[in-house]
Amino acid sequence: MHILSYANVKLGVRNLGWDNDPRLALLFSSPQPTTAMNIRNSKPWNLPESTATPEDDYLNRRKFLKAAGLSSGALIGGSIARAATGGFPSTKNENFLLESLEPTEFDLIAGYNNFYEFSYDKGEVQKLANQGWKTEPWTIEIAGHVDNPMKIDVNELIKKVGGIEQRVYRFRCVEAWSMVIPWDGFKLSALIDLVQPNSKAKFLKFTTFYDPESAPGQKGGSIDWPYEEGLTIEEARNELTLLATGIYGKPIPNQNGAPIRLVVPWKYGFKSIKSIVKIEFTSKQPMNTWQALQSREYGFYANVNPEVDHPRWSQSTERIIGSGFFSKRRDTLMFNGYEEQVAHMYKDLDLRRFY
Amino acid sequence: MNRFARILRNRWLIYLLLCSPIIFVFNPYILCDTEFRADPAKYLLEYVGLASTYIFAIVISLTPLRRIFPKSTIVNSLAFHRRPLGVSVFAYALLHFLIYYFYTGSWSEFVNDWEKLFILSGILAFMFLLLMAITSNNRMVRKLGSRNWKRLHRLAYIVLFLIIYHQATQEKTGFRETALIFTPVLALQCWRIILAGKASLDKRNASANQPKLD
Repeated sequence: MHILSYANVKLGVRNLGWDNDPRLALLFSSPQPTTAMNIRNSKPWNLPESTATPEDDYLNRRKFLKAAGLSSGALIGGSIARAATGGFPSTKNENFLLESLEPTEFDLIAGYNNFYEFSYDKGEVQKLANQGWKTEPWTIEIAGHVDNPMKIDVNELIKKVGGIEQRVYRFRCVEAWSMVIPWDGFKLSALIDLVQPNSKAKFLKFTTFYDPESAPGQKGGSIDWPYEEGLTIEEARNELTLLATGIYGKPIPNQNGAPIRLVVPWKYGFKSIKSIVKIEFTSKQPMNTWQALQSREYGFYANVNPEVDHPRWSQSTERIIGSGFFSKRRDTLMFNGYEEQVAHMYKDLDLRRFY
Repeated sequence: MNRFARILRNRWLIYLLLCSPIIFVFNPYILCDTEFRADPAKYLLEYVGLASTYIFAIVISLTPLRRIFPKSTIVNSLAFHRRPLGVSVFAYALLHFLIYYFYTGSWSEFVNDWEKLFILSGILAFMFLLLMAITSNNRMVRKLGSRNWKRLHRLAYIVLFLIIYHQATQEKTGFRETALIFTPVLALQCWRIILAGKASLDKRNASANQPKLD
């Protein structure tokens, strides 16, 4: 893949005269070999504040790229200027750093997206999600069996839960590919403490935005929009469960689920619902969109499990995004490597039946 | 139109068209595309698979098109190239098969998935295409005799259903793409069957009427 990233540089990004932009240089250079000595320094998101690019520069760059006729694939963080949740400093949580894994390049995270609200085509989502879909201001509603129901602006919510932190998580798609993503966000449990669920609350039901005018994919297809997901309250309270509002220390790009999305790293990616407008505390297990669509292939739990195959492919290994044509797959870990933190929740569950 | 049909007769033009998917994929626009860079093996796997499917859809439709439009010079020009078209279906299927090996990453993974109907349908289709490809030269036609050869190459219709299954199960929601490609193909086949049925009925009527004339 290194050859291809050089090709990208040659094609124009470097030649357009941004050689002195350290962020770009980091994003487009090939990954540094990591040794035990310099792991910290080689992390691309581990940048001093002085290297951050002012937002104006992003805007100018976008105009310039448009003028140069480059595809949106070359736009890095094209949505940043418009997303909500900017301006919160993110502190690194040292307990979730994944030192041994190389995080996925930002432009691959931002350019390879399953977001059927916009397109079935992973490469098209970035462009379509940045053509007038407004993710600011954004209100999220918390309802159901809670003492403190609320409708609250996302930025207000972040302030109320005490800000955001950075955690590096594995991300495993049910399609057998994986990334390593430095998320910024806050624990879902902080929100749960805020709204005070009562004893009837056993599950959380999450709902994505519904706006077919901005999201052309919602105009049709076989999916019953809006997209919905669910967790048990125990899963929602788990220390790993995150509401993410950023990636690599920047507001989350539209195509990655701006301005606020769920991140459940021990479950397949489709559980991590994007662009949430409503969280409802329910007494009954909610029906999630993919289960409604194909219950033989996708269940409610969707825990990453190398021993339970998808009917059409094996789940025992995964392709690492950005690793190139000839790379070998990596073994998929039980609960995506988070067995220690989550296995106790499923000790009485037949994982073959409740996939 | 006649001129267009004459251009279509050109063997080298057809060769160039058949190679164009391969030539096209190696351009900087695709090589720098995020989707390609994210998972090149998957991108190429689907790309050559689709190329094979499209060419197959064309070549399997040539016989019905010829029955339905026997006088069309364009159809006849295309039908003239049936052999290279058919062989290139196999060539792209072969690439698809080889890239699938790199996609799975190891031999054990490669063999592991064969029991899944989705993969098995693809492998069976590939085997049948292989059989047809190795018997596609003149020498094999002579060796088999035209009747046996024709019988063997009816495998194409089994391949048709295998590919439809393979393509349809590959889609995550609905069967839009499969329907777009194969609805016209199946419609042409139905039309051809109706025409054949009508022809044999006419023949029977004609022979039934003959004694009366005597």
